[in-house]
Amino acid sequence: MRMLLAFIVLSFAMQSVWSRPVSYPGGITADMNNNGDEHSLLLHYSPTAKYSLGIRSEYRRAGEYLLTSFQLNNLVKRWNKKDSQMNFYIKSGIGYADRNSSRLKDDSSVAIFSGIAGDWESRQYFMAYENRYLEGGSLDDFFMQKVRVGMAPYIADYGALHTWLMVEVEHKPESEDTITLTPLVRFLKDVHKVEAGISSNRDVLFNWTIRF
Amino acid sequence: MKKLIVMLILLAGLISNNAFADHPEGTVEVGIYGLVCDFCAQALEKVFGKEVAVDNIDVNLDDKIVTIHLKHGQQLDDAVIRKNIVDAGYNVEEIRRGG
Repeated sequence: MRMLLAFIVLSFAMQSVWSRPVSYPGGITADMNNNGDEHSLLLHYSPTAKYSLGIRSEYRRAGEYLLTSFQLNNLVKRWNKKDSQMNFYIKSGIGYADRNSSRLKDDSSVAIFSGIAGDWESRQYFMAYENRYLEGGSLDDFFMQKVRVGMAPYIADYGALHTWLMVEVEHKPESEDTITLTPLVRFLKDVHKVEAGISSNRDVLFNWTIRF
Repeated sequence: MKKLIVMLILLAGLISNNAFADHPEGTVEVGIYGLVCDFCAQALEKVFGKEVAVDNIDVNLDDKIVTIHLKHGQQLDDAVIRKNIVDAGYNVEEIRRGG
């Protein structure tokens, strides 16, 4: 717990050294995620092209609580190559979790979370890894990690509809279903990115990102 | 033999310039590292859109080249171009100027 707090404080303190853009300078992004674990909306702003600050609202389905948090995303390192790009991020947040449930005991707590993420992308192939640890006092406490690989069946020009076929494997050590597999399709067009899939638990995945 | 050497040199020049189209005066072509997606291209459009000297830009994802079209009589220094691209999160491979 102390180490996690130190990690978050460190990532805030070192943002000027570590950080790289999450979006372009002045860019605003709305990121909505729906899957078997959560329904969430993150609105973030990149003051410079080196980090983003955001407000996240997240409903955790298993714990039946709403987490409203302040989130910082740092792009620690980006490797730009002629035909590919690779990124390493740290994502951290602190907020307030509140449960108002008919099934579980009402409760509330301060919650913090942190995780790392990395991706490699060319115009045809995609790989990504992400993990997250959340400490929510008496409400929740979990670790998850996931890997995603993808391939574009065709290479589209700038401005055209881009399509990706992907598979996501999620690992949740404390869950009943430790491993979840989700085949999905990603579409990119203009400022929109939409992802849709169905997991091996038959949960629907639907993500929508808009960059303003 | 001399003719053959001259032809080979000319041919080599044509090949080396193949990635870049002929650029009229008032355009700058920039080869960019890390330009792999539409979101990357949009970032560069936004960043260069704030420059007074820039009319518009074209993005070629196949060749990883951004063509910057300058307004009539306007200039944009290499240093400014590099800074904009680096600030947007990418790296410059090469800058070529027309005219």
